[in-house]
Amino acid sequence: MTIAELSLVLFVISIGAGALGSLLGLGGGFILVPVLTLAFHLDIRLAIGTSIVAVAATSSAGAARNVGESITNLRVATFLALATTVGAVTGALLAGVFDDRLLFGLFGAILLVSGVQMLRKRSSAATHESSPATQAATAPASSGQSPVAGARHLADRLSLHSAYYDEAQAREVPYIVTHTGLGLGLMYVAGTVSGLLGIGSGALKVPAMDLAMHIPMKVSTATSNLLIGLTAAASAVVYFARGDIDPLIVGPVAIGVLVGAWQGSKLLVRMRSDRLRVVFVIALCLVATQMLWKAIA
Amino acid sequence: MTRTSVGAYGALVPPSPHGVRAAVGKVLHTGVLASGAILLTGYVVGLARESATFRSAATEQAHLAGKATYPHSFVAVWDGLAHGSSEAIIVAAMLMLILTPVAGLLTAAVAFARRGDWLFTAISAIVLAVICASFLLGALAR
Repeated sequence: MTIAELSLVLFVISIGAGALGSLLGLGGGFILVPVLTLAFHLDIRLAIGTSIVAVAATSSAGAARNVGESITNLRVATFLALATTVGAVTGALLAGVFDDRLLFGLFGAILLVSGVQMLRKRSSAATHESSPATQAATAPASSGQSPVAGARHLADRLSLHSAYYDEAQAREVPYIVTHTGLGLGLMYVAGTVSGLLGIGSGALKVPAMDLAMHIPMKVSTATSNLLIGLTAAASAVVYFARGDIDPLIVGPVAIGVLVGAWQGSKLLVRMRSDRLRVVFVIALCLVATQMLWKAIA
Repeated sequence: MTRTSVGAYGALVPPSPHGVRAAVGKVLHTGVLASGAILLTGYVVGLARESATFRSAATEQAHLAGKATYPHSFVAVWDGLAHGSSEAIIVAAMLMLILTPVAGLLTAAVAFARRGDWLFTAISAIVLAVICASFLLGALAR
């Protein structure tokens, strides 16, 4: 193959990676790294560098649309970025302290458990994605009657609650954010893991927002999408300086990812939340398998 | 495209930071479109001026094996741009793409400040500072 032909193939593959990455808030690296290394025998160092740029591209292109539509919760993203960015720095500082295999095994297992929990949530909250939130929404914050009332005071103070227009349901979906402190802690862990292992931590961020903070699925993936762009930016400059970003490999990938992510963010608005959840869990299992594989191999 | 919150839940939704969202969306949009356009320009320049590189299978192998050379410092990119090198143009576009989310956050910080939302101005500023610190950390570790 010539560079021109290779560019065309990479461009086409990256459209798919960008679309799934922005739809699921995972960034597309989880598809690109295995494809680039296994199918194209690309040097792993360059594959990770490419993936980092792809994450930034997915994040920007996806959020460019979803922020305006308020699917992305900008206040939640900004607040949680405190923990993910500090976590990423911690991870970079701790690199080499822990056994990578142990970490891959541990987090692969955590992802599998999160996947199961997310599927169970689907069956328990079958009708409305935001049922606990909508119940709480009708009760004033100070009444203390609602089960989530006590868990939401930090989010109240930060005005994190919001609403988004769901095209699949053709209505505005208001939601209450809960357990913000726990969410912040989990984001710190997610950031540290991404810094330590150089993997997209969207797989940890989406379950944290969905399961712990009770943020609707669509808002969780869109907000994760914006968050991972910020942490990717922080580390991408390092990869660039190390020479891990080859323009002739990353160029076509970046263009493809931009096109794909733009479409993915459109699809996110229209897709039914329960279907999104199922697709996400499938992708989560894929990421978990990759991690468990690295723990064994 | 943006919709305001209405109905019984209206009170729940914070004084909607429409201005903030619109401003951040616009910056991200601009960053994505501009870097995409520059990337494509890099390819057009490359195909027109350095077609031998783009049509050789040996070069492809070198790039896949991580043995190719290309600009990877700000000085080298700047020099390359001055000479109209396609690789330098592509790298510059990628750096712009990488910095787009950060530009979005910077815009959010300014927009929060304009609204007098000092808590979120401070939060955004801290996040920006941490990102800058990690740039420096990376530069030192090299």
